[in-house]
Amino acid sequence: MTSRGLSRRTTGVRRLVVAGGLAVAALGVLATPAFAATTTKDDAVKVVEDAQSSGAIAKQTEECVVNALKNDDAERCQKAPSPIIPAGNEVLWGGLSFLVLLVVLWKFGLPAATGMMTARTERIRNDLDTAERARTEAETVLAEYRTQLAESRTEASRIIEEARAQAEQVRRDLTARAEAESADLRARNVEQLQVERDRVLGELRGQVASLAVELAEKVVESSLDREANLALIENYINTVGSGNASGSGS
Amino acid sequence: MGEIEDELFRFARTLEGNDELRAVLTDAAVPAGRRQGVVQDLLGDKASQVTTSLVSFVVGIGRARDLPAIIDRLVERAAAEKGRVVAEVRSAIPLSADQQTRLAAALGRATGKQIELKIVIDPSVLGGLIAQVGDTVIDGTVRTRLDQLRAQIG
Repeated sequence: MTSRGLSRRTTGVRRLVVAGGLAVAALGVLATPAFAATTTKDDAVKVVEDAQSSGAIAKQTEECVVNALKNDDAERCQKAPSPIIPAGNEVLWGGLSFLVLLVVLWKFGLPAATGMMTARTERIRNDLDTAERARTEAETVLAEYRTQLAESRTEASRIIEEARAQAEQVRRDLTARAEAESADLRARNVEQLQVERDRVLGELRGQVASLAVELAEKVVESSLDREANLALIENYINTVGSGNASGSGS
Repeated sequence: MGEIEDELFRFARTLEGNDELRAVLTDAAVPAGRRQGVVQDLLGDKASQVTTSLVSFVVGIGRARDLPAIIDRLVERAAAEKGRVVAEVRSAIPLSADQQTRLAAALGRATGKQIELKIVIDPSVLGGLIAQVGDTVIDGTVRTRLDQLRAQIG
């Protein structure tokens, strides 16, 4: 709202207050009640005439009071007005004042009130719009947060699942590697045992053969006397001489 | 001459089979007179003077390592001059003259050559004979049979 709009609305309010004050003063003057004479008739007439001349009471009131005093018909003017229908002049001045007030209010008050209401409505609408936007934004943010939270939970679940899968894979790899190494170790041990067994058996066989040959040598030496040696020599000579011996190149 | 050949041949085989003797006779650090003294001690009263002098000469000039080859070449040339080839025969016991004659004849028939035997007494053969004529070896020793048995069992 601009300063110019605010000044215009202030002026309208001021006019409305002034018009209301005038209307109340008029009603107060017009509603001055008739009073009853308590003194003598002449004094009363004089007082009434003075009041009328001073403008304190209306001419009609002055005439009514004077006539009532002269005719000694005090009831005529002391007759209470109708509680429902006001006096004609009151209706006239009240209507005029009302019209004036209505016009003034229509002219100045209504635009100001309308402006204020419009401004208030606009402000409230703006506030509501702002609140709606804030709520929408909050809902959007909340939705985004919820979406992010859900994504985070999904991501966390995925990470946990991946970690679990990786851990399982690592466990399987380690198990497979350990089994392979164990199998390889067993195979190598078996192979080493086989090699060692073959070596021991070979050595044992060699030792047995050596012992057997040594034993045979001792047996041969003990049994191979000169006669037996001569027999071997004769056999050699006969074999070579018969051509059955086979020589080998050295 | 035949006796000298036999003595030289037997000394050559003894030198091949005795590492300690070969080490002494081939050691340049041992003075030549000392080496010749060893030869004199070994052959002085067991071999002819010619044999002892030849071996002492070769040892004295520092060629003891080549002595077996020199003697073998000498024996082969002597046999070749007689139209024969040398047959080195190893036996655990000495052979009689009759056995040597029949063995030479048998080897001659087997090789088609005139054979001159060189007998080496070698107890390691245990029994039987082994004869080498040139590059041909005819083995009938108990030692070879035992070695074959050892190879088969081992």
